[in-house]
Amino acid sequence: MQSGGDFVDLLRQTGYRFPGENLGDVQSERDLPFEPTDATTILAFQYADGVLVAGDRRATAGNMVLYDRADKVVDLDAFSVMAISGSPSIAFEIARILEHAFQYYRRRLLQEMSLQAKLRRLSLLIKDNLPLAMQGIGAVIPIFATYDRVDARGKIYFYDALGAQFESADFTTTGSGSPAIRGAMYYLNRWGGRRFVEMDRDAAIGHALQLLDTASEYDSATGRYERSADIFPSVKTITASGLAEIETEALRELYVQYVDGEEAGRA
Amino acid sequence: MMLSDEPYRWAEAVANRRDYIEDQIRAGSPVVGVGYEDGILLLTLSQNQQKVFEVYDRITLAGIGHSTDIEKLRQAAIDMAHSIGFNYSEDDVTLRQIVYFGLGPAIKAGFDDVVHSPFLARVLLAELDGQEGAQVFYSVDYDGAFHRHEGWAVVGGVAEADVMMGRELSGLDTGALSLSDAAGAALRAWAMGRWVGKMDEVPTDAEQLEHKAGEVDVADVLETELKDMEVEAVVLGRSQLGKNKYRNVDAEEIAPALAKFKETDKT
Repeated sequence: MQSGGDFVDLLRQTGYRFPGENLGDVQSERDLPFEPTDATTILAFQYADGVLVAGDRRATAGNMVLYDRADKVVDLDAFSVMAISGSPSIAFEIARILEHAFQYYRRRLLQEMSLQAKLRRLSLLIKDNLPLAMQGIGAVIPIFATYDRVDARGKIYFYDALGAQFESADFTTTGSGSPAIRGAMYYLNRWGGRRFVEMDRDAAIGHALQLLDTASEYDSATGRYERSADIFPSVKTITASGLAEIETEALRELYVQYVDGEEAGRA
Repeated sequence: MMLSDEPYRWAEAVANRRDYIEDQIRAGSPVVGVGYEDGILLLTLSQNQQKVFEVYDRITLAGIGHSTDIEKLRQAAIDMAHSIGFNYSEDDVTLRQIVYFGLGPAIKAGFDDVVHSPFLARVLLAELDGQEGAQVFYSVDYDGAFHRHEGWAVVGGVAEADVMMGRELSGLDTGALSLSDAAGAALRAWAMGRWVGKMDEVPTDAEQLEHKAGEVDVADVLETELKDMEVEAVVLGRSQLGKNKYRNVDAEEIAPALAKFKETDKT
């Protein structure tokens, strides 16, 4: 007997087809090599209270800046987020399916979906997207971050374009700006005087802002604080008490302190 | 055998069906819905088994009757809500749709199909801040007839129970009640409904019923029932963070109402 808690099954019954399934034999005109589109910078690390996830707000198409308010850190439930790098259309679709799938499962089966099952659901959706990923236009490489109430600690997972999932011990970063800061994150965590996991909330946010600023220095597809429109990167924390989005005013203070002002230049 | 060929036998079959269903659900535990200052409270008493359920962000369901029949209706409501919520938006999920196009027709079809078992259930659904109002309820009877209510609503084992429970709730200012006061009123109504449902012979004459009800000590009824049942309550609370407004009410939140209840009835 079917338990009936699978939201994707419900969608299929109502005629829904995942974007990749509609593709059939469609081929792009040019014989494109497989190049994931991932013009952004997303980072996540463990800090004292849980997990911090941050992303820039820029959306690009080639060398055009399309949008400077994209929110790439998407809430899935009260304790988990998916940070998106890759094709926004597919990524947002996956996030929307997951958000509904977690709630549907809880309501229908009267129990919370386990963390392992949540990871598996995301992995399956990425696998379903393989046809689009292989076309070079629809790859999604997300970071999944959550607070595991069973183990009482934050957890960060990253994926490859085919859906393989890995848990990251300390920190991770993806997107086109990530090569610019991966080494910096390693350096900071190892010799910066304080490991990420020892940082309090403010220090964690301050360092995330510094790192995104660094990424934007070297990657044109990564946005930084947008002075003219007053747009900050999105920063979210997940702790034992749940998900919190850091408000603009708090970001401003920490930005002045860590990026522009007194703490700038000191790790 | 075509029952419809013989109008008299058809009418008889329907009447028998009504008697059968009413007999099956009469002694069940009623469900009471009352608005309060922050939203809607749904309350019942149950024996180690969940009776009030989350359907969607602002919609909840409870029923009286056969648990598997209630379960089928609950699942149908959840499927419908999530399908609409995903394909359209969260705001497009309305209780009216679920009742008019989902539960009402399904229950009616089950009731009309005289060769199969009907739904042995009466259900109560509540919606917070929907298109139809702030505190809206729909009750759906075992024959598929549904009714819209505002401010408060009940479903008991027999129609007379609904009437007597309503007496306890009508006139309440449901926009201003504290949660504790709403729980107190709901408990009083529940006890009255339970008492009517358990009568050997419910007087069909309203005056006679009212006269008998006047002699009932609802505190006694409640005290007796609480020996092997527990109060189960959920709220749809506006002040709840996030999109999902459903929350289980803790025993401590109900305790003051129970205590007060006992005091006032002893004086």
